[in-house]
Amino acid sequence: MAKKSKQAYKQAPWRRQIQSVGISLLPVIALVVVVSIYLIISAQSASAGLEIMDMHYEEEEILRIIANQRTELAWKTSYTEMVKRAEKNGFETAPSESVHFMAIPGYTGQSPVLLAPPPGSENTLGPIVNEYYQQSLWDWVYNTFLTSAQTSEAAQ
Amino acid sequence: MKKGTFSRLTLIGIVLTSSSTLIILQMLHIQNSTKHQELSQWADEEYSYAIENYTPERGNIYDRWGRLLAGNEDVYEAGVMLEYVTNPETIAQTMEGVNGLTYDQIYDVVKQKYDEENSIYAVITDFLPSGVIDVLSDVKQTYETENPYGKDKEKPSLRGLIWSSHLKRTYPENSLASNILGFYSFRDRREGLGYYGVEEYYNDLLAGNPMETFMPRNPYMLESLPEVPAGASLVLTIDREIQAMVEKKLDEAIKEDEAVSGTVIVLDPRNGEILAMATQPRINLNQYWKYEDEFKDRVPYNRAISETYEPGSVFKVLTMSAAYDAGVVDDETTFPDTGRYEEHGAVILNWDRKGHGEQTMQGCMQKSLNVCLAWVADKKLGEDKFYEYMQAFGIGRRTSVDLGGEETWPLSVPGDADWYPVQLLTNSFGQGVAVTPIQLATAISAVANDGKMMKPHVLKAIIQDGKQYNTTPQVLGVPIKAETARTVTAMLVKSLENESSLALVPGYSIAGKTGTAEIPVEGEYSIDLTNASFAGWGPADDPQFLVYVWLEKPKKSPWGSVVAAPLFSDIAKELVVYLDIPPEDAQQNLVAKEG
Repeated sequence: MAKKSKQAYKQAPWRRQIQSVGISLLPVIALVVVVSIYLIISAQSASAGLEIMDMHYEEEEILRIIANQRTELAWKTSYTEMVKRAEKNGFETAPSESVHFMAIPGYTGQSPVLLAPPPGSENTLGPIVNEYYQQSLWDWVYNTFLTSAQTSEAAQ
Repeated sequence: MKKGTFSRLTLIGIVLTSSSTLIILQMLHIQNSTKHQELSQWADEEYSYAIENYTPERGNIYDRWGRLLAGNEDVYEAGVMLEYVTNPETIAQTMEGVNGLTYDQIYDVVKQKYDEENSIYAVITDFLPSGVIDVLSDVKQTYETENPYGKDKEKPSLRGLIWSSHLKRTYPENSLASNILGFYSFRDRREGLGYYGVEEYYNDLLAGNPMETFMPRNPYMLESLPEVPAGASLVLTIDREIQAMVEKKLDEAIKEDEAVSGTVIVLDPRNGEILAMATQPRINLNQYWKYEDEFKDRVPYNRAISETYEPGSVFKVLTMSAAYDAGVVDDETTFPDTGRYEEHGAVILNWDRKGHGEQTMQGCMQKSLNVCLAWVADKKLGEDKFYEYMQAFGIGRRTSVDLGGEETWPLSVPGDADWYPVQLLTNSFGQGVAVTPIQLATAISAVANDGKMMKPHVLKAIIQDGKQYNTTPQVLGVPIKAETARTVTAMLVKSLENESSLALVPGYSIAGKTGTAEIPVEGEYSIDLTNASFAGWGPADDPQFLVYVWLEKPKKSPWGSVVAAPLFSDIAKELVVYLDIPPEDAQQNLVAKEG
């Protein structure tokens, strides 16, 4: 069999050339594959980056809309508007003489306003970007295969 | 043949290898040349980032129950990209009348010549509401459909007209609490500042940190995205409903009593929280630029903190408190009132120019006898102790209330070039000494709060970075003992009841004192021109509010007991309802039921 191969190569030396070319092309192909993966990931990262930038601008717009809506609500519930509405609905200010006080068990009066949580209530925010999008190919291979292999070995 | 092929292949190989090597060498050369580094740096600077001026959203201002007093609304700036304008007439016609602009004004802007260096964009108008923009957008779309790209110059086109949104400071309550809030000069979008009141005092907090940021253009530089936090929001101690009620009552009183102006301060003596502070004039904060029309002739923006005046007999509360606290008088001390006190080369008379015979200290306060108080200050307290107490009450010093524009008038004391012994006599009943309403209200609040004088303030909480930080009340000083404060309070309750004062509030025990200070005109005091005032607090056994009323030059009557006391009563009657304070009998019933 080996003799036949040698014979074949002697009769057609271009096979040897093809073999050499093939061998020399292998690292090039490997490089191209790596570069392709890199380009794909880069493109995806760039796309995600652009999306984040868009969302950043969108966030600004949303914050502006929230501020606007909050103010609009304040206009609609302003003192003058509320008095107008109350009068339109037939309400009138009760004179102090006609106010009766009564004890309501458990009622401690109007609570102080709390528009945001107090400093003590710390909310620990988790990472915004999923860790899968932050790790390199090597990290992924290491975490997915090597670490899990080590874990299963330890379990056994 | 084989040799030739080999030679050609070798030649091609050599050529390609040499070219590649040269290219690589050139690449390395470029990479390492100084020119490359300069170019790279220039490209980084020019194209990696865009410089953006970012003004964070100005913080909101709320009343004590979270009702918005100052916020921000979305408005639009309209302008033209001069390069793309095809039909300036259409733009001028369409926008005519918007924000009061005329056709010619708009046309002059739009007709400007495009210049890549100096003239790319021109502003037509600003602060347009979204409704106007919606209409403009519809019209622009219609024209664009009929005349794509504005190619046909005979047909209308709004090409080149653009708009961009931004936030504008807005005050949904218009003029309500305008003297407290101050205003933000929002029409000046680059150099806008807070003026007066809360807007001035807390400008830095509200404004946040406007900054010039580098916005990355490179999508990989996610971590460089700037985070510019909004300005802090403020929760005030002001109660919108009480403020509105007080402003209404004050306006009515000024009109009815034909006063030049007036001021009312409502505060909680237990912690110094200002619940309401009303003065005249007030302005619609959404039109702050009309400020000069209202505040002519150096009229202060907020009289409650900026105008000093001689307070008159209300000041006697401090003199009597000092005398009791120093132990130089007590309930048994009597004074033979002849209606005249002559000392230090001056003659002091009572307000009615009469003598009232033997008087206890209670009688002196009830009848508001100048002669008696001058005697107490001169013969009992003495100048050193009197001024020591006045300084302890904060007279002559700013209260440090957290509002922009607080003023003070220095207190002349023995040893000063401008102090004369006669001033001890006149100061004892509130003449020859000048205070602001907030100074006097703060000083008297010590008597209402067991001798403890709390710092007056309007800030209840700050909301920053998503957290609410509540403020802690501060003690300014303890000028008198708790026992003295209770004694003087009881004395003033009895005084009001004995004289059936117009300040009384049915069902509640109220302590208070009227004041009528003559105003000097060309060096002479005149009884026709007075500052009429009243300081009162209640309920006397557990004071939850202190109301200070000052009417300036009332024509209906010059007396504080006639014009200021009823205004106090009117306000206090409603205040007890807003503050959920039951009348004494109801309180006893509630306690009995709970027991």
